[in-house]
Amino acid sequence: MLYFIIQQMMYFSIPLLIVALGGLFSERSGVVNIALEGIMVIGAFSGIYFINQTQGALPGQPVLLLAILVAAAAGMLISLLHAYAAINMKADQVISGTAINIFAPAFVIFVARMLQGVQQIPFVNQFRINSVPVLGDIPVIGPLLFQNTYITTYIGVGILVISWLVLYKTRFGLRLRACGEHPQAADSVGINVYKMRYAGVLISGALAGIGGLVFVIPTSTNFNATVSGYGFLALAVLIFGQWKPWRIAGAALFFGFMKTLSAVYSGIPFLVGLGIPSNIYKMIPYVATLILLAFTGKTSCAPKAEGIPYDKGSR
Amino acid sequence: MKKQKNRDFSALASSLAAIVCGLLVGLIVLFIADSGKAMQGFGAIVTGGIVNRKNFGQVLYYATPIIMTGLSVGFANKTGLFNIGGPGQYLAGAFAAVYVGVKWTFLPAGLHWIVALLAAALAGALWGLVPGLMKAYSNVNEVITCIMMNYIGLNMVNLLVRQLLFDQARNQSRQPAATAVLPKMGFDKFFVAGATPSSVNIGILLAMLMGVVMYIVVNKTKFGYELKACGYNRDAAKYAGVDEKRSIVLSMVIAGALAGIGGALYYLSGAGTGIPLTDELAAEGFNGIPVALLGMSHPIGIVFSGIFISYLKVGGQSMQAFGFAPQIIDIITSVIIYFAAFALFFKLVIGRMRRRKEENGVIKAKGGEE
Amino acid sequence: MSEYVIEMCDIVKEFPGIIANDHITLQLKKGEIHALLGENGAGKSTLMSVLFGMYQPEHGVIKKDGQEVKIKDPNDANRLGIGMVHQHFKLVHNFTVLENIILGVETVKGGLLKMDDARKRVVELSEQYGLSVDPDAIIEDITVGMQQRVEILKMLYRENEILIFDEPTAVLTPQEIEELMKIMKNLAKEGKSILFITHKLNEIKAAADRCTVLRKGKYIGTIDVAPASKEEMSEMMVGRKVSLQVEKSDAACGEKVLEVEGLSVHSKVGGKHLVKDVTFNVRRGEIVCVAGIDGNGQTELVQAITGLMKIDAGKVVLKGEDITNAHIRKRNTSGLGHIPEDRHKHGLVLDYPLAYNMVLQRYFEPQFCNHGFLKFDEIYRYSDALIEKFDVRSGQGSDTIVRSMSGGNQQKAIVAREIDRNPDLLIAVQPTRGLDVGAIEYIHKQLVKERDEGRGILLVSLELDEVMNLSDRILVMYEGEIVAELDPKTVTVQELGLYMAGSGKKEA
Repeated sequence: MLYFIIQQMMYFSIPLLIVALGGLFSERSGVVNIALEGIMVIGAFSGIYFINQTQGALPGQPVLLLAILVAAAAGMLISLLHAYAAINMKADQVISGTAINIFAPAFVIFVARMLQGVQQIPFVNQFRINSVPVLGDIPVIGPLLFQNTYITTYIGVGILVISWLVLYKTRFGLRLRACGEHPQAADSVGINVYKMRYAGVLISGALAGIGGLVFVIPTSTNFNATVSGYGFLALAVLIFGQWKPWRIAGAALFFGFMKTLSAVYSGIPFLVGLGIPSNIYKMIPYVATLILLAFTGKTSCAPKAEGIPYDKGSR
Repeated sequence: MKKQKNRDFSALASSLAAIVCGLLVGLIVLFIADSGKAMQGFGAIVTGGIVNRKNFGQVLYYATPIIMTGLSVGFANKTGLFNIGGPGQYLAGAFAAVYVGVKWTFLPAGLHWIVALLAAALAGALWGLVPGLMKAYSNVNEVITCIMMNYIGLNMVNLLVRQLLFDQARNQSRQPAATAVLPKMGFDKFFVAGATPSSVNIGILLAMLMGVVMYIVVNKTKFGYELKACGYNRDAAKYAGVDEKRSIVLSMVIAGALAGIGGALYYLSGAGTGIPLTDELAAEGFNGIPVALLGMSHPIGIVFSGIFISYLKVGGQSMQAFGFAPQIIDIITSVIIYFAAFALFFKLVIGRMRRRKEENGVIKAKGGEE
Repeated sequence: MSEYVIEMCDIVKEFPGIIANDHITLQLKKGEIHALLGENGAGKSTLMSVLFGMYQPEHGVIKKDGQEVKIKDPNDANRLGIGMVHQHFKLVHNFTVLENIILGVETVKGGLLKMDDARKRVVELSEQYGLSVDPDAIIEDITVGMQQRVEILKMLYRENEILIFDEPTAVLTPQEIEELMKIMKNLAKEGKSILFITHKLNEIKAAADRCTVLRKGKYIGTIDVAPASKEEMSEMMVGRKVSLQVEKSDAACGEKVLEVEGLSVHSKVGGKHLVKDVTFNVRRGEIVCVAGIDGNGQTELVQAITGLMKIDAGKVVLKGEDITNAHIRKRNTSGLGHIPEDRHKHGLVLDYPLAYNMVLQRYFEPQFCNHGFLKFDEIYRYSDALIEKFDVRSGQGSDTIVRSMSGGNQQKAIVAREIDRNPDLLIAVQPTRGLDVGAIEYIHKQLVKERDEGRGILLVSLELDEVMNLSDRILVMYEGEIVAELDPKTVTVQELGLYMAGSGKKEA
């Protein structure tokens, strides 16, 4: 049972983790990205459609890997719109994000209908790995982490480690963070704030696009133009994780756990006995984030210059 | 107050520019989808709202809730707050209204729907209160708290509808009692096409009235002066002796109440729609954002932009007759918001140019001092 | 080889409607400390921004070692060896000292940052030039003086040869200023050329070799500092003989309007005392001046008295009435006027028209408000009258959006508003900061006039001259405490400075 819950939890936690890390790159560069939801939709759509078209022609795992690249590219493309508005046009970042969130589902339904007549895109889930060779046979850890799993889980973990490395150990990360905290300082030492912010937003687009695909694959057999508010939940993960990669991972696991409880509780006698409706479990991550914010609001770790358009001309 | 008019005019111009951009993109999309019928489809969008009285009635009917959520966003904006919590407040209001409508049948006919509206205002206000309090006392960004409240509201309402008001057959909430349905005011006799009447009712008049009331509150009263002062400069408002925390909380509470009433006006219309059980946030809640943006947060402007967005929606329904997906309207709307966000930038540029001109004037007046 | 390491020849920089630099020439010799002197708005910052590549001039050339160069952005400037310590430090608050120093010129190995080499160089440099810093400290935890040393190290790390200091002393204590002067001389001795932007004549006399003076965007001249007197330089800067000596008679003190007893304010983070057990009073008809170096609790003291900040201990009494916990509105209406330290943060709603700002604390009074509705006609009439009376200049009078007004006129509007409310106690915090001499004289006269009309004035100032000229009594604040009460007639500037630095003996 526990194994089942942990395996289920990964299906929810990994996309949250990937998308929240995407949000992290954007916000650390100083651009608020509430368009994560919309970008996920675009990424999921592109990836799933790619799978729909290529399935059968290629074996499962390569299709999935290619689909991930497609989703990342689509996510980057749509995030360019956000970057342009937020960075070049100095638009209100929340408004431009909202526009993308409204645009994305409408656009993918429209395109899906154009391409195939109906809006749902079916796909065959041939990506599950019953047991990773060798690793899956380890007692306890094997069934916990290496059975009934997806390659995306390990990609997610990889992204986490790389994100941390990039942000804290590389020149790029140092400069990116400087742009989110004090863009004038970055500019004064010759860093191109606009470029860095574009980079941040584009990375967030790629990761959110991947996250959208990763979310849909284990939880459904067709894509219906929605990621069920996961983009917004990822935003909560980002805040709950206080804009730090490892804490984000912790928050994603916690949120994923709550989500799993709401999804599987009817199969767990103990939880059925408690008689708590599933909606309560769904609510807990949001309530927990609110409570955390209420207590830490004043000492928030949010990047200082987040949401403020950088205007080179202003003195 | 000549200057004020000037500013309003440049705002109007940028709104119109955004609309033109949105429609142009819509037209391009139509051509991509089916170039043969694109012009007909576009014609349907543009004229669908006025081809007959019933359609225009529907325009007013759909406009009602989004005018309210638009006013909600616009009002909060005056205090410098971005109320993206419309969906949650809207849903909370909708639930409270339907609950009163279904359960409190002991109320007399004339009073029942009014009490339902008040309950909705209260529930919406409650949903606005939380972000307001957190902004005022913990300085937490209201965008984040509003998003959280949206999903808490969604799950809460799903739960409560399922437990208290469930209509299993249709997987939605039950219908309010006839006494709780909003009066038709004879609109159902006027806004008809053939025999089918439009669903429009007193709600649109209430929404317009709210627009006027909000205009007066924001522009003519002491309260509005205080709210705007907080919005422009919270520290200066405090210095002036304005209770800035109270202003912020009140602003969110009123915004929440407006969105809550919006939810009530939609679900008490007697058109047969119940609150659906879904994992998606209500579009009417989010649509307050484009409505407020296009209306440049001006209450009267919001009434017009609400009618405009609704007009597009009805036009979109007509457009489906030519085989186009209704999502084209959402695409147009999102493009309009996107460009409206730019419009703020254009306004800024125009403002800067004007300011420089003014500075020139001042410098000349001072004889080149400084 | 040219005698000058940098020459800016005949620079013209226009902004729409204003010529910020009108044919300015500046020549910097190798190894000298060259002061750039001018009032606020004289065009110093613009000229430096041109040199630093942030603006492109409409006319004129820049030469490095006699060769004409184009500086298109700060990177170009950096490549030519030009570095700058900005007035507002460009440091990332939650980065370490080391990270701030290497930002933009990081060395990497295999894609990862190579911090060890950088650390070694920073330690070497700090020893070589006597700039002690802790490379691993977080910026927000270290003192302003140390932050400035980090900025200097940033330039040295980049091997800059031409160092620009933009108003470097505004935020420093006298000791730190002395230290900085020593550092600058040290740097010059090591062959660095220094441009030193300031409007403080003492510092020019203390450190600079030569001095270029700007006034209202125009080049006035370049002089050797040693033979020039302060009076001459001041006249060059302002364009006429200046006497900041304010004409005033002796104070005729009446009853106490403000009594402060045992006032303490704690910091929200860390619980440090920002204001510690402060007791004093202000009587009618006198100007009491709180002197001290910025950041010694003056801001918090004033915010506590005016209600912007919560008091942790002690009592504030206004005209015999205890207002310790009174609401700001109550204080405003019972005779407290406040010209705030930061006119943009507290004093004005910049996006409101001037008329709305003129009634900022009074809009609810029956004169301007009826049953919750504002009487716009009355508000505009009142505002027009104030504008007339206090000579506030703006584009469209009462209808002008305040943001578009000049700093001096914004400040005048605040002064007008506060004085016209007829306060019994007027608190003025750095009322002349950032203003030109004309506006300073005007505001000083107004303050003295108010005093003579029997109001109590509490003046907070960082400028020693202002303190000496205006006050009837001086209270010196150091680290949140009042360490001395002095008589401006008997105390010397030097003594006052000692007290401000915390080294005077406690008398009061």
